[in-house]
Amino acid sequence: MESVPERISVQTSVLNANQQTAAANRELFAGEGLLVMNLMSAPGAGKTTLLEATIKSLRGQFRVAVIEGDLQTDLDAQRIQALGVRAHQITTGTVCHLDARMVARALDKFPVNDLDLLVIENVGNLICPASFDLGESLRVVVCSVAEGPEKPKKYPVMFNKAQVVLINKIDLAEASGADLRELTKNVREVNPQATIFALSSKTGEGLDAWTNWLKQAIEVRALAAMASV
Amino acid sequence: MHEISIAECIIQIAVVKAREQNARSIQVIKLRLGTFTTIVSDALQFAFEICRQGTLAQDARLDIEIVPMVARCAVCETTVQPVRGICLICQQCGFPLEIVSGEELQIEYIEVDSDKEVSPWSRFQNEFQSRPVF
Repeated sequence: MESVPERISVQTSVLNANQQTAAANRELFAGEGLLVMNLMSAPGAGKTTLLEATIKSLRGQFRVAVIEGDLQTDLDAQRIQALGVRAHQITTGTVCHLDARMVARALDKFPVNDLDLLVIENVGNLICPASFDLGESLRVVVCSVAEGPEKPKKYPVMFNKAQVVLINKIDLAEASGADLRELTKNVREVNPQATIFALSSKTGEGLDAWTNWLKQAIEVRALAAMASV
Repeated sequence: MHEISIAECIIQIAVVKAREQNARSIQVIKLRLGTFTTIVSDALQFAFEICRQGTLAQDARLDIEIVPMVARCAVCETTVQPVRGICLICQQCGFPLEIVSGEELQIEYIEVDSDKEVSPWSRFQNEFQSRPVF
């Protein structure tokens, strides 16, 4: 016997295991005709407030549930539950993002067979969540005007991977001296295909355009599932 | 610090592959890493050194090949290598650019030590295969 150095070809994506679990999640969601939104932003961009406003607008028309991701506390899940909507909290401890396995585990305890829309509110972070597919059909990134117009340029991967970018807190644009046009231009430059809505969850300005778009997406998703049966 | 999660995934994939080949230890893990990912090479090396402990990759070197971002216009076929202040709108014709490379996060190969009965012929083959290709 002798020790022999040997080169073994691997050719495997590092995120292979996550991608496989995400594909299984995606198949489960598709089977239910369910639109799944992965909602991402920096901490404090207003994800949860925006989600509350969105849920209020969908109320009575669509069945919605929420999976909340946070490092600590279930405060966000409590806020959603206060609206009479089912919510499940994933606390990641120190992990800075959700991954497909965390979502798969949550689904064991959190049935999604009676829903039209499942929102997964990711951990507030513009870097790490970009790499981890959860099995969602829609990636939505929220950016508030007070964060500064260069945000998309600083975090291009996150903005590039989004289908929808929501520019939030436009009621603060003037007070914070934010250049809305510059911010929109920067989103376009890193993601020319993104659908962009500028809105304020607080005043409701611009909210209808977003929720109408979302309602249509939910309906299209449900119809696609019916057509494939 | 998601580099820890990434390092764990790298080691897991390498260890499974090494076990399949009855390897005694992993010496090298070769990774291709695009610049349009959220992974920082130095942070990944640091995380790797922590995560490899107590595994078959305990003494392994993580060999990272950086793959630059390249984007191409589907309309006028202009090719650009965005580095900072990335703009994916073609400066020549205004159409969106497609990302050609820069999103890589892939293990190419591992180099392992195995215990084997070695015939002169297979030793020759092994040496031939494990020689780096330039």
